[in-house]
Amino acid sequence: MSDRPIPDDELFGQLAHESEALGEAVRSPSRLKSRVYSALVRRQQQSGSLLNLTETRHAGHELCVFEVLWEHLPLTTGAKCFNCCSICHARVLGEQVEHAPIFWGGCPYVAFQKK
Amino acid sequence: MGPEPDDAKLVLEVLRKDRKATAEFVNRYADVLYGYVRRRLVPHTEFVDDLVQEVFLAAWENLESFKGESPLRNWLLGIARHKVEDHYRKRLREIQVLSEEESPGVEPANESRIEEAIQEQQTAKKTKEILALLPEQYSIVLLWRYWEKRSLSEIAAQTGRTEKAIERLLARARDQFKREWNER
Repeated sequence: MSDRPIPDDELFGQLAHESEALGEAVRSPSRLKSRVYSALVRRQQQSGSLLNLTETRHAGHELCVFEVLWEHLPLTTGAKCFNCCSICHARVLGEQVEHAPIFWGGCPYVAFQKK
Repeated sequence: MGPEPDDAKLVLEVLRKDRKATAEFVNRYADVLYGYVRRRLVPHTEFVDDLVQEVFLAAWENLESFKGESPLRNWLLGIARHKVEDHYRKRLREIQVLSEEESPGVEPANESRIEEAIQEQQTAKKTKEILALLPEQYSIVLLWRYWEKRSLSEIAAQTGRTEKAIERLLARARDQFKREWNER
């Protein structure tokens, strides 16, 4: 092996490569996922309604208990596009608390808590 | 490499504004984007959450242009890379770079033991610790040059500085990094 030192540029390139390869996998906080999801849905609504709940269910997605109730109310199709999460305490808890005490099925804020 | 089999379906559903698909989109890709942005912003992790959110919002705004020619993960990481570089550019412009006269003694660091450590694969933790100790402009320029693999001319163009100025900044950053490395 040569005793000549590695040029700085090459040395730091190797250092970056090495530390990148050995960098630990990290998990994003559930609060961040919750906030990102809420922001994304708000942004989607700026250009029109969300897909209505019936079509969402038909696409194979599970609705939460409040969305099921909402879906069965005698409302117009347009009203069924309502974002129930916008008035739900699960959203508030999910955005503020890591490991929030919310447990029911079909809730994205619950899904974000799971490992 | 092509897209994941259900990436195309997921993208279509998100474009239809299916709220549950949107949640799946966030759940599926938040970890990889968070990990990438966090590694690139270390130690200034206070900016990570905002940048990750910006990546997702930019992805939504541009999702129709996703052609599925590469995995969605890579497409999202490309957006994240742009956001990180925007952040570097903004921060380097905000930070008053030490002028030559003001800069602390820039005697070259003694022969570094970095090479030895690389050979023994003991670098990741120490690198992170030292990047956290450096002035922000030093950690940014090192991350930008060596982790993002941008050339001096690219960094200079993005920051509106001369290549020579970036080269000097980088040399000071490397020197301080090596000094810290050898002292630990």
